[in-house]
Amino acid sequence: MHPEHPVRLVVEDDLRRNRASVFFRLILAIPHFIWIALWSIAMVLVAIANWLVTLVTGTPNVTMHGWTCAYVRYSLHLNAYLYLVGNPYPGFMGEEGEYPIDVRLPAPAPQPRWKTFFRIFLALPALILASALGGGGGFNYTSRSGGGSRYAGLSARGALSGSCAFLGWFAILVKGRMPKGLRDAAAYGVGYGAQTLAYLLFVTDRYPDADPTAMLDGVGRPPVHVVRVVGDADDLRLSRVLVFFRLPLAIPHIVWLILWGIASACAVIANWFVTLFRGTPARPLHAFVSRYVRYQLHVYAFLYLAANPFPGFAGAPASYPLDLELPGPARQNRWKTGFRIILAIPAFIVSSALGYGLGVTAFLTWFVGLARGAAPWGLRNFAAYALRYQAQVNAYASLLTDAYPHASPLEGAPTPEHEFAEAAKAA
Amino acid sequence: MTTARGAIAAALAAVWAAAAWFLWRTTVPASLHLPNVDEHRFFTAAQLHAAASFSTVSVLLFWGSTLAQISALVAFARWGARWARESAAGPLGTGMLLGMLGFALVWAAQLPLSVVDLWWQRRHGLSHVGYASFVFGDWFALGGQFVFLCVALAIVMGLARRLRRNWWVLAAPAFVGLALLFAFVDPYLIGTHRLADQKLQLIAAQLERKEGVGHVPVVVDRIHDVTSLPNAEAVGIGPTRRVVLFDTLLDGRFTTGELKVVMAHELGHLARNHIWKDVGWYALFAFPGTFLLGLVARRRGGMGEPEAIPLALLVLVVLQLLAVPLQNAISRHMESEADWRALVTTRDPRDAIGLFRRFVPATLDEPNPSTWDYIWEENHPTILQRIAMAEAWREYVRRPVHA
Repeated sequence: MHPEHPVRLVVEDDLRRNRASVFFRLILAIPHFIWIALWSIAMVLVAIANWLVTLVTGTPNVTMHGWTCAYVRYSLHLNAYLYLVGNPYPGFMGEEGEYPIDVRLPAPAPQPRWKTFFRIFLALPALILASALGGGGGFNYTSRSGGGSRYAGLSARGALSGSCAFLGWFAILVKGRMPKGLRDAAAYGVGYGAQTLAYLLFVTDRYPDADPTAMLDGVGRPPVHVVRVVGDADDLRLSRVLVFFRLPLAIPHIVWLILWGIASACAVIANWFVTLFRGTPARPLHAFVSRYVRYQLHVYAFLYLAANPFPGFAGAPASYPLDLELPGPARQNRWKTGFRIILAIPAFIVSSALGYGLGVTAFLTWFVGLARGAAPWGLRNFAAYALRYQAQVNAYASLLTDAYPHASPLEGAPTPEHEFAEAAKAA
Repeated sequence: MTTARGAIAAALAAVWAAAAWFLWRTTVPASLHLPNVDEHRFFTAAQLHAAASFSTVSVLLFWGSTLAQISALVAFARWGARWARESAAGPLGTGMLLGMLGFALVWAAQLPLSVVDLWWQRRHGLSHVGYASFVFGDWFALGGQFVFLCVALAIVMGLARRLRRNWWVLAAPAFVGLALLFAFVDPYLIGTHRLADQKLQLIAAQLERKEGVGHVPVVVDRIHDVTSLPNAEAVGIGPTRRVVLFDTLLDGRFTTGELKVVMAHELGHLARNHIWKDVGWYALFAFPGTFLLGLVARRRGGMGEPEAIPLALLVLVVLQLLAVPLQNAISRHMESEADWRALVTTRDPRDAIGLFRRFVPATLDEPNPSTWDYIWEENHPTILQRIAMAEAWREYVRRPVHA
């Protein structure tokens, strides 16, 4: 149903990092910055020439295709190095198989001429998303007005990968290892950037695929998290009318979310004291806040076009196609409870980076949904990933669980212990 | 049983009539005779032609828009319930979704005419809103309407699911309470600024004393980047009372004397408790309105069922449309009283006439519209009627009994 993308990310990283190399990473990368700047200038000329050749012959020139592949691969290696996805210092020639984070690229193949002709415009949505995820293009806008110069604009280059690298830098200096969740998220970002670059530079005519599971195919899955998003993965249908009016339709929910949020915040504070003293959250407060966190997921899934129907106002379990499974009140570590708000800060940073990507995804899905009456598979799956992570953060911050949110875009794989616990629960 | 119901209905009708009589009372002397005024005495042929030409298209747009609204709602009443399958929100939430979609479709149906209307106003310099910001702003503003609609539907459907046929008995007072609440908080929803002009502040203070309304802040609403239409309004009840002057009144087109008449008019509204009376009239319409709504909704299982909402929306809009002539008459009646209060307070018919004369080129309102337009569109007395009242006041105070 969803064919394999010709640009495949390969992750053969063992998560170990050299502390000294990480500490000085940006400085160490300076020769690469100079080299990629020079190479990029040459690539602009190659890309224009290759564009003309592909337009005339219908297939990219073999030599230029080879240069382009090397450039795409090199930029991936460099991004992986910068965002702490990989450990070793990358080479300068973008050779295949020389770096633990690599990309498999296709041989030159015929491409439809209209796609080639309009490539720069067609690539814009992918470039916008790549700028939110990392490793791709960025957007800056500078304006000068009057006598004084004024800088006005936004640079969102690599929001997700950048956040993961920022947090990973501290973690590595302490532990000597990159946390798997952060590594996977950053790898996903740089992988999407490589697909976008390959599309932009005529390596392939296949549009970049934002599906995180497909991107990280072959990467080991993390253990199952207690906070999970469940739903029918193949349900992509969107009602065009609901898509068109999505934002106004969501406003009553947003108002209700804010009002309920005030009550929920009071409940969380009360529950913090209870959990701190008893070691276990109070059941009624836990149930109340669980409903709120679930309701939040339903509303965001609707608002960001990850699901179609209008959600209910009560956050009832199993009432929405994209639903949240939450744990019951269980014993929690008192240290983790006492410092919960501080401990949650790194998760909030990743969550806000994902939120930016979620906004971009919703914006793009709005147009696709109106045209096709369905959400694009990749964008919907990215939205589901972002929503899942945000729900895990909310559940953690709201004391529903002391399990830290897992940033990996991959769904958790059940471990034998987990399967045993599930069976025991069912029994 | 039927006799008892008839007696109750008669008693309720009598209460309604008595309340309406109470609310209709006015301080405009019953003996006041408005003279016939010739529009050519006050307006040039060019001004009259411009106003007539502008109004012709505006009226067509109004009726076109109304037709689009009714057509969209008829179609929605027929097929709208199908959208219930797009909801995972239970009966109440589904009702809300259907209500919002009904409003959204009306918006979409009216959009082309709204854009033409904007073009027409821009062409005459009455609006400065850009097309893109108008369409996007209007689309986004739907969200605000949806919030109120959801609250209203939550009340109606919640009560209907609990009380079945008698929901309207509690729903009508609930809506009256909400109307009262909005009347109270309305001034806080408008972004206003302090009146900077010291002279106008002093005049306002004098007028407050003469009207006996206590201190009422006079504030300014900066809307000159949206419209050039001059306007003012009295808002709030009790401690939230305000007189709001649009800054388009203060751009030099109107003299201090004319602005004094405007402020006196708005204070007149407050002195005569017109906002309270507005809520009173709303109550008088809310009870029979909700009753009729419930009656029609029974065809689709009652107001507690989401499937009834599309039909209920159509009925509501039709009832509102039918009530427009009556509501306009009530509004004109109160505006007329505010005009009278302004004349009594300022004792300055010359400036009042000057103000009304300037309104025609500034607003392109027809001084003497056709009866049809008067009934359906005019919620203020016509410009000629207002001028006539100012002239009548002159005669009225000259009578020996008032000397």
